Amino acid sequence: MNNNMTHKKQPQKMKKSYNPFMFIGEAFKNLWRDRVMSTASILVLASCLVLLGCFSLLVVNININMNRLVSLNEIVVFVDYDLPPEQVEIIGQRIRVLDNVETIEFISKDSGLDSMKEDYAGFEDVFDSMKESGDNPLSDSFRIKYKDNSKVTTLDYNLRQIEGVRKVNNRLDLATSLENFKNGISVIFIGFLAVLFIVSVFIIINTIKLAVNSHMEEIRVMKYIGASDWFIVVPYIIEGTIIGIFSSVIAYLAQWYVYFSLEKMVATDIKMVELMSFGDIGGIVALSFLAVGIITGVVGSCISLHKNLQA
Amino acid sequence: MIEFKNVRSIYKRNNHVALDDVSFRIEDGEFVFIVGHSGAGKTTMTKLLLREMVPTSGSITVNNYNLKKMPKFKVAKYRRSLGVVFQDFKLFPQKTVYENVAFAMQVVGTPKALIARRVPAILKSMGLIDKAKNIPEELSGGEQQRVAIARAIANTPDIIIADEPTGNIDPQMAAEIMELLVWINQKFGKTVVVVTHAENLVNTYQNRVIRLDHGKVTSDRVGGMFE
Repeated sequence: MNNNMTHKKQPQKMKKSYNPFMFIGEAFKNLWRDRVMSTASILVLASCLVLLGCFSLLVVNININMNRLVSLNEIVVFVDYDLPPEQVEIIGQRIRVLDNVETIEFISKDSGLDSMKEDYAGFEDVFDSMKESGDNPLSDSFRIKYKDNSKVTTLDYNLRQIEGVRKVNNRLDLATSLENFKNGISVIFIGFLAVLFIVSVFIIINTIKLAVNSHMEEIRVMKYIGASDWFIVVPYIIEGTIIGIFSSVIAYLAQWYVYFSLEKMVATDIKMVELMSFGDIGGIVALSFLAVGIITGVVGSCISLHKNLQA
Repeated sequence: MIEFKNVRSIYKRNNHVALDDVSFRIEDGEFVFIVGHSGAGKTTMTKLLLREMVPTSGSITVNNYNLKKMPKFKVAKYRRSLGVVFQDFKLFPQKTVYENVAFAMQVVGTPKALIARRVPAILKSMGLIDKAKNIPEELSGGEQQRVAIARAIANTPDIIIADEPTGNIDPQMAAEIMELLVWINQKFGKTVVVVTHAENLVNTYQNRVIRLDHGKVTSDRVGGMFE
């Protein structure tokens, strides 16, 4: 037996020294040691993030396009017959200051007749004789585009209150139907998104749990030699964070590629659809991926560890 | 000092009485065998000593720690005052011999410089310095158990608890491991508690032997034999 062991008793108040790099090193070692499981965790997390990202962007773009569709609606206001131009001008000014009015276009009764002439080809003579005899049955009108579809009823009411307004033509039913359709779609898609998010988080947490469970025996030994809970937990938290970061970077690149390709396709082939530019939403996507990635990575690690720390 | 006072331990799941009115006291620096056949209560006693479980009634005091009343957050600190050796070694398979011993010191926040000084000295004293860079699976059972003992004494605990330390190794290695434990007891004055059913080893050393049978202490004598 070798007797040269320096087995002196340690000072009672030895200053504790925990090197943060040791924990980071341990986390990377764990990741490398279980590289198959770590890769699986990263890929599952990245796939879920891409799926969530695609769905979120779909919801955003549907919303934008539905808004565009709804905003095609307009109101046409007809003034009383034979009003003097000064009074028509006053009506125009009163319309302009109303809330929710975006643009206003004046259509004189003559130009109204001209556009009718174009619409009813073959009856040009009838319209020409009306014009020549001064028997134009139309009145001057204003075509109004409004900003907010949900306030169109109020606008319609306010227009009818203006003195000299004979008739207000709106497409309120169509607008309301489109608005309801848009809201319905939004609710359904946001519901789907929430379910998808919960399922994704569940899958991610379970994948990370599998990885942590493979360390159960090691954690038990650490407990036996007096490791405190935080000493055991910290490397796994770091491991979860690293998995989250890697996953979000992969997911972001995949999302960028898919969306960018789609943007190009839409720009050349499907011009009636408008897509938000990835440049405008890239920052939010990156931050969201990072947040979801890290939070699920860390929560997954903590949930798995909680059970193993009970020993 | 280890003191069991009227300890009764019942497993709630099946109402099995594992230990029944067990009382004994082990003074600092003693070398004690706890023996008994399978089902005698040895495993429960080890679990109680490691504070993996608490007794149903009675009290256990180890190094002035009252294990029954000890809050959960103090368990880690308590376990640092023990050195534990297991039958299946429980080494970290991916860490080298050096890292396995060093890790026990990192856990308690020992400064890096001190670890770098102490670990080679401990490995040298255990005859393991040449194996410092090996991982456990490259070692024999006896060598692995020596690494486990090196890890157990790394933080200079007052008490070494060895649970069937020779159970997984051949008789010659078993004798070496026992010699090592005796040496630690005699040279450094550490309290050593060996839980075992290895009759020949117990009879060779004739130290104090506490015999358990069906959860009760049936004999407790110095210079005892496995009867």
